[in-house]
Amino acid sequence: MKKFKWTIMTLVILFSVCSAFSNRKTFNPVEYYWNGSGYTQLTGDYGDNFACKANMAITCTYTFDGAHYTPYRTGQWVSTILTDQKTDRKSTK
Amino acid sequence: MFKRQILLECISALLILLFLYTSLSKFMDFKSFTDDMNNQPFPNSWTPFLVWFVPGSEILICIALLFERTRMAGFIGSLVLMTLFTIYTIIVLLNFFTYIPCSCGGVIRRLTWNQHLVFNLFFVALSITGLILQHRKHFKSILITQTNSFV
Repeated sequence: MKKFKWTIMTLVILFSVCSAFSNRKTFNPVEYYWNGSGYTQLTGDYGDNFACKANMAITCTYTFDGAHYTPYRTGQWVSTILTDQKTDRKSTK
Repeated sequence: MFKRQILLECISALLILLFLYTSLSKFMDFKSFTDDMNNQPFPNSWTPFLVWFVPGSEILICIALLFERTRMAGFIGSLVLMTLFTIYTIIVLLNFFTYIPCSCGGVIRRLTWNQHLVFNLFFVALSITGLILQHRKHFKSILITQTNSFV
């Protein structure tokens, strides 16, 4: 029984570590958002200066490889103005 | 007895798989995780605590689930953490907050909130089953020890 237990646990640990390594982001690319007429480069940090509201159906930000814009984050793009509103809302609580 | 033990090992293995994978993903992409935390509807002053507490407690639960003596504590910790995540998901689905990005580790961040709820409920059920089985096993071993001491 002990052999069975430790075989399973070793496999599970190895699988978790390998999966986490294979799915990790290796770099933080420059991100762009669609402003309605063109792509605008984003400045600042995600979470601090801009965010993507939970919505899996639309693309929030894109990356640019020199020729094509590729979807990067899903959700509805929101600017720092909303982030500030969030901070204001918290401070009034 | 043997079947129950196999079931207990499988439940522990599944919970370890979930917690170890998500905690490692959070640590490996720590900046993204911190940004996601800053973007949650609770105060940003909580972020320095939460970014260590959440993955840290997940790793502690994994260690507890590995060993027979601490497994009960592991199941309790797992149930508490998964229940908290589920309550948070339900609050999100009820549109209590207007501003919530997902803050999960690894590929789990690609789930929708509805899928997240089902996923969390499955692991809550798994934790409860593990807790009951472990409790019964513990109770039986005490009973056997007491019977032997009388004989």
